[in-house]
Amino acid sequence: MVKFLSDEWNNISKEYILKKLDPEKDLRNVTTSLLAVIEHVPPNDSTMNFYLELQDGKLTNFIVNTGDTHVGKEAVFTVSGNYGTYRSILKGEMSMAVALLRGRLKLKGSKMKALQIIKPLDGVIVSLKEITDEFEE
Amino acid sequence: MSLEKVETMQKISLEDALEIAKKGSHCGMCRFDFLGTGICPSGKKYGFLAYWPQGRMQIFKMLMSGKVKPSEKLIEIANSCTLCGICDKQCNFATQLRPEKVAKALKDYTNNLDKSEYQEVIEDDVIKGLREIVGEKWATNDPVIISSYVQTIIHPDSELNFYVVMPENAEEISKIIKFANQHNIPFMPRSGGTLLSCATPTVLSKAICLDHGIIIDLLRLKKLEVDVKSCTATVGAGITAFELQKEAHKHKLRANLAEAGAHVCSNIASTGITSTWQNRYGWAADNYIDVTIVDDKGTIRNNSDMEIKNPYTTERGFTDITLSPPGIITESTVKLHHIADDEDVILVPFEHLKDALSMIIKLAQRNVGVSLIVLSRKYLSEFLCPTNQIAKDFEYICKNYLKLNYVVDVIGNKDDKKIVEEMAECTIDKSMIKTLILGAPKLASLKNSEFLKVLSEEKNPCKAIFAGPMRKHLEKGLDASPEQIAKVFDADLQDFFKKVYSRPEMTDIIWLHSFRILPSRLMRQRLFFAQAGMIWSADQDKILRLVDMLSKVCDKYKLEHMLGFILPMDDGKYVFFEYDYYYNHNDPDATKRVSQALIETTEKCLLMGDILMVLNYLFKGLYRKEHVLYPIPKGISDEDLALFRELIVSILGDEFKW
Repeated sequence: MVKFLSDEWNNISKEYILKKLDPEKDLRNVTTSLLAVIEHVPPNDSTMNFYLELQDGKLTNFIVNTGDTHVGKEAVFTVSGNYGTYRSILKGEMSMAVALLRGRLKLKGSKMKALQIIKPLDGVIVSLKEITDEFEE
Repeated sequence: MSLEKVETMQKISLEDALEIAKKGSHCGMCRFDFLGTGICPSGKKYGFLAYWPQGRMQIFKMLMSGKVKPSEKLIEIANSCTLCGICDKQCNFATQLRPEKVAKALKDYTNNLDKSEYQEVIEDDVIKGLREIVGEKWATNDPVIISSYVQTIIHPDSELNFYVVMPENAEEISKIIKFANQHNIPFMPRSGGTLLSCATPTVLSKAICLDHGIIIDLLRLKKLEVDVKSCTATVGAGITAFELQKEAHKHKLRANLAEAGAHVCSNIASTGITSTWQNRYGWAADNYIDVTIVDDKGTIRNNSDMEIKNPYTTERGFTDITLSPPGIITESTVKLHHIADDEDVILVPFEHLKDALSMIIKLAQRNVGVSLIVLSRKYLSEFLCPTNQIAKDFEYICKNYLKLNYVVDVIGNKDDKKIVEEMAECTIDKSMIKTLILGAPKLASLKNSEFLKVLSEEKNPCKAIFAGPMRKHLEKGLDASPEQIAKVFDADLQDFFKKVYSRPEMTDIIWLHSFRILPSRLMRQRLFFAQAGMIWSADQDKILRLVDMLSKVCDKYKLEHMLGFILPMDDGKYVFFEYDYYYNHNDPDATKRVSQALIETTEKCLLMGDILMVLNYLFKGLYRKEHVLYPIPKGISDEDLALFRELIVSILGDEFKW
C-alpha cells in the first residue's frame, strides 16, 4: 500500500494492473490512452498527472508526471479535476462516472468513445484503489 | 433529549408538528412577499435557510429523526421566530400547511433541552477562511443550520459535513471558489432550491447534489434595477421570479419567468426558463442580454467579454451526462416585454389531447397568442382550487361530467381572441375563469349531484355549461365570492383570505400567468417530472405516442401520474412537454419507483428519437437554443443502448440493471 502519486505508487500501479487485470475480460482488448490531470495537489498547490496507455487490453505505459501535460504522445482522453476529487474516487467514495456527472471531473475527447472504455476504466480504478492508501490531506 | 421523552411531555403537539414538517415541500413561497403580508422577519434578518419557515420545518424533521443533534445555534433559530403568523398565511395559500405550529413546537422542544444535550461546534480552518471572505455572520459549519439545507441540495441520507456561506457579490464568490479549490473542497451554489427539492430524493441526486463541501447560498445578491428605455432589468442571483415581475409590472412591462419562487439567474442556467409566454418571448438565450458568471476556477467574466471562449458551445446527445451548473451566474440582464392594453385570455376545453395539440400547433404556426399552452385537467384543477381535496373533486368533475381533459389556454390581443373563437366550438372567458376560481369549492361539492349527471348527458357538456343557457345557472349556483372561498381555509385565516381573494389580481388569470404563484400548489402532492423536454411537432402522432409511453411506464411502477402541459416554441416547430409523477417523498419505496421510472422513460425516449429530454437541456440553457436543439436527435442504436445501460449501472449500481 502506497501514497498516491509517489514514485512507488507509479511502479506498483503498473505491476498491479498487469498482474490483476485480464486484457480480454477486464480490459476488453481496448487500445486507448488517458491523461489524468490532478490540480491543486497539496501541500504546494501544484499540478500533476498520470498517463496510462493500453494496447489491445495490455497496459503499455503508466507514468506519473508534474504539470498538466504528458511529454510525449497525445492522450485520446484527458480528465482533469482537483486532488480532492481523485482522492474521493480512490477512496471509493465516488465513482469516476459520478464525478463526471457532477462536473467534478472534466473530460476532453469523444464522449461516445469514453463510454466504450468506462467499464475497462472501472477495472483500472479498482486496482488503483487496492494499492493506494495514503493521501495528502 | 430523546423523542420518546419529548413525546411524553407534549405528545400531540410534537406529533402534529412532525406531520406538518414532513409535508414541507420546499417550494420557497415563504421567502418573498406574494400576498402583501411582508416576509418572515427572522429569515430576512439572518439569511440562512434555517431561519426561514421551510428551514425550521426541515430542522424539526431532522431533530425528531435523530439525524442532527441540537447545537447552541438552535436556541437562536427557535427564538428568532416571532410567531407573527406570516408563514401560515403564505403556506396555507400554496400547500395548506401551518409552519408556525412547527416553529412553536421547535421553541418548546428547545426550551426543554438540557445544556448537556447540545453538541459542540468546532471552528476549523475552513470556516475561519470562509469567514475572512464574507464576514463572521455569513459563514457557518453549524450542523443544525446545515440540516435545514437537506432535501434541497443535500441528500436526506448524507452526512452533514458541509459549510454554508452567504456571499454578497461576485467578488466574494470568486474568492470562495479559489479558496475551495486550494483546499480541495467541492462547492455548489444554491438559489431558490425548487428544482433541487424535486430532484434530491430521486436518482437525480447522484448528479445534482453535493456530497460534502461548501454550499454557496446566493440569497444575499439582491440587486434589481429596471431600465425602461432598453426594456431590460439587471437582476442579482438572489432575486426571485416574483420579485422581478413585480418590479417590471410597475413599468407596464413583463419578464418571461419560471414559477414565482424560482430565482431568475439560476433558472437561466438550469432549465433556460420555461413558461407559457415562451411562445412569443422565446427560451434560453432569448431571455437575457448578458450574464456575469463566476467559473469553476473563480474567474469572473461576462458573456459579452471579447476574449472568452465561444459561450454558445455545448455537448449534444446522451453522452453529455454532466448535470451541474456551467458556473455561478451572479447577475443577469434580462429582457422585458411591453404589456398590450387589449390583452385578454381565453380557454378552449377539449376531451382529447389530439385535438388540443392540433389547435395549439395551428395557433403557434399562425403566430397567435403571446402566452399559449395546453394544460391538463390535473394542472387546471390544482391551479384553480385552494385545497388538494377540492382540486381532486374538481378534476373528477372535469373528467367524468364535463369531458374536459385538456384546455388550450391563450393570452393574446383582441385579434388573437377572435381567431381562437372562430376555431373553437366553445370557449371559457376571463369572467367565467374568475367564477371558477371563486366558485371552485362549491363546484367541487356538486361532485355527485343530479345537476352534473344531467349535464354529462349533453353532447358537449362544456358548451352547455360555459357557453349555453346553463351558464347563468352555473354562475348563480356557484355563489362565487371571496366570502365563499375563504370558508375553506382554517377559521383563524378566513378573514385574511377573504381580503386576499377580494383583490382583483387574485382572480385575474393574466396576472396569475405572469406572477406564477399557483404552480406551487402542485407541491401539495409532491410533483416530480417523469420526463420533460422538447419534441418536434411535425409528427403529432409521435407526441401522442410519447405521452402514451410515459403513462404506461408510470402505471408499471404504480405511480400517480398525468401529463402536465404542452407548449409550443419557435412558431410551433416543436413543443415543450412535461409529464409528472405525484408521490410521497418520505416513502423510500415510492422514491425508488420514481427513480426506476425516470431511467426507463429516459431509455425509451432515447430509442424513440426526436426528443430532447432533461438530460439534454438541463444546465445547457445558458446557451443559444439552436446549439441544444439541433440537429434533431435520432433514435439511438442497440449498440448505443447497451452503452447507455452500462453507464447507468456504472453510476447507480446493479440496482438499476435491466
